[in-house]
Amino acid sequence: MPRAVAELLHREQAAPGHYLLQLRCPEIAADAKPGQFVHLRLSEGLEPLLRRPFSIMRTEPREERIWLLVQVVGSGTGLIATHDEGTVYDLLGPLGRGWRLPRANETALLVAGGVGVAPLIFLADALSVSDLGVYVRSLFGAATNEALVCWTEFAGRCNEFTTATEDGSAGEQGLVTEVLARELERGDADRVYACGPPGMLVEVARLCAEYDVPCQVSMEQWMACGVGACLGCAVPSAKGPQEYVRVCTEGPVFDTTEIAWDRMRP
Amino acid sequence: MSAMEPDLSVELAGLKLANPVMSASGTFGYGTEYAPYLDCSRLGAIVTKAVTLEARAGNPPPRVRETPAGMLNSIGLQNPGVEAFIAEKLPPLREFGVPIIVNISGQRIEDFVRLAERLSQADGVSALEVNISCPNVEHEGMFFGTDPELTARLVAAIAETSAAPVIVKLSPNVTDIVEMSVAAQQAGADALSLINTLLGMSIDVEARRPHLGNVTGGLSGPAIRPVAVRMVYEVAQEVDLPLIGMGGIMTARDALEFILVGATAVGVGTANFVEPASTVRVIDGLAEYCRRHGVPRVADLVGALEGT
Ligand SMILES: Cc1cc2nc3c(=O)[nH]c(=O)nc-3n(C[C@H](O)[C@H](O)[C@H](O)COP(=O)(O)OP(=O)(O)OC[C@H]3O[C@@H](n4cnc5c(N)ncnc54)[C@H](O)[C@@H]3O)c2cc1C
Ligand SMILES: Cc1cc2nc3c(=O)[nH]c(=O)nc-3n(C[C@H](O)[C@H](O)[C@H](O)COP(=O)(O)O)c2cc1C
Ligand code: FES
Repeated sequence: MPRAVAELLHREQAAPGHYLLQLRCPEIAADAKPGQFVHLRLSEGLEPLLRRPFSIMRTEPREERIWLLVQVVGSGTGLIATHDEGTVYDLLGPLGRGWRLPRANETALLVAGGVGVAPLIFLADALSVSDLGVYVRSLFGAATNEALVCWTEFAGRCNEFTTATEDGSAGEQGLVTEVLARELERGDADRVYACGPPGMLVEVARLCAEYDVPCQVSMEQWMACGVGACLGCAVPSAKGPQEYVRVCTEGPVFDTTEIAWDRMRP
Repeated sequence: MSAMEPDLSVELAGLKLANPVMSASGTFGYGTEYAPYLDCSRLGAIVTKAVTLEARAGNPPPRVRETPAGMLNSIGLQNPGVEAFIAEKLPPLREFGVPIIVNISGQRIEDFVRLAERLSQADGVSALEVNISCPNVEHEGMFFGTDPELTARLVAAIAETSAAPVIVKLSPNVTDIVEMSVAAQQAGADALSLINTLLGMSIDVEARRPHLGNVTGGLSGPAIRPVAVRMVYEVAQEVDLPLIGMGGIMTARDALEFILVGATAVGVGTANFVEPASTVRVIDGLAEYCRRHGVPRVADLVGALEGT
């Protein structure tokens, strides 16, 4: 059954306003695939009422553990910052459709923006232990040095790694999509995998279309059910001028050609 | 213990329900989405998302937003249309072996009549629930459910056509819900369900814009429960039809509020998003309440409010 209870084993501040959670959850540790998410109930009371979705950052099946990376942005994520070790969460998952893996011996370009790094760490982890022989080159961008959250976990699983910060406090100064444009110009990336803020994903999709490189993105949308029943998590679909797809069920990972980017809310 | 097991069955508009707990329209998909999380065959009935004649795309995102003890939604009437519903959604729904109530919606009376013709004859459809909280294109977008005369004409036309019982789902966005319920009764409704969502709005003050892509949306969840209980109470005083009460039911205790003020059955909506097994928990909780209070049949509790 795609639901479980998970005990918080360890919580640490990975960066200001970001928490790394280590949870004991044998079922999800065994079943989750890179790019899938869990729908976490944060309180037994009415605040917050709805569950909150989080990408799975990493699993350790043998140790029966999963890792989540949470950025505090509001009331629900704020609660997590107060939860002690031993807290037991009720969660649905693993949910959604994850990353489609590259073919053998391809070069994969992973592009992360801020906390969007979480599902890409899981992908890099899976690729690093697979026998596909995929060459993993990663680009990680954030506003500042501090917001390059969990960058060592990410870098350690990649063959090549580049960072960019908007204020120049680490790596190149500028947007990660500027680095991506250069990489695509070089022309040896077979496919791109990206997760980050909506504006970044729009630009990633545009660039990959321009250079004709297949690209998958992990998208976010406010959710209620998380299981495909409420139709709340819709994003515009490329299938037709009025069609929508559900982030929780058809996604969260989409091929960029599946999304009508021009109809995304600015 | 079995001799002491309370009887949870209720009768409603000619339907025999194993218990009074059903899913609320639009919150339970087409049943199959929740099948991994609970035994759907235990529900008193399953009520589907609104079905329209043609496929509908729904509203621009974002479509949901949490609010204090509740949520706003502006899903719109996204659905695959009646023919695709019958071909693709109905067969797996039938497998659950419980009564299926199909929520229908339209833009003109004619739409509803054609839906009633088609669906009330379809194999496995036990009843229709008429969503009257939608704009009528023939009356400059006036909502069917906000005008007693329009409500009466709509319900009469459907009741005349439908081979299955007709449940009219009332909107709370009216000055006098009793007036609407009386109109629906006189026009031939077999039962009433109430309440639909309350119109609401919330704002992202940093971005200075509405949270929802559709600007306004429907409020549901515990926040609306007192309003819903009051409305069921008032309607129960004035009409003789069986009522399906809903609005913020999270637990059996909440469901009992509705039953005690006069609801024969209850709908569980937003709670499914929080806890997928909410419906079966409410069913189990009703049985437990009956045992604890020595009530042999849950039907004995309908309208059993004291002290008013
Ligand atoms: C598939 C998926 C995977 C996600 N993975 C992660 C992850 O690994 N780590 C992480 O920190 N966050 C992730 N998120 C975002 C996370 O779910 C939201 O930040 C969280 O729900 C906010 O809850 P809150 O109660 O703190 O915020 P609220 O008080 O509800 O809102 C505070 C602010 O957060 C914004 N917000 C709320 N919900 C979302 C959302 N679903 N997406 C984007 N912005 C939102 C609101 O616009 C508002 O400005 C993911 C979202 C989805 C849909
Ligand atoms: C996401 C969502 C979708 C809904 N869709 C419909 C619908 O299609 N037709 C309808 O009559 N009511 C619809 N409703 C209203 C519910 O059936 C119910 O009347 C209302 O939400 C109050 O119950 P609750 O507080 O338990 O959710 C919807 C509610 C929600 C939250
Ligand atoms: S969150 Fe309900 S359908 Fe995706």
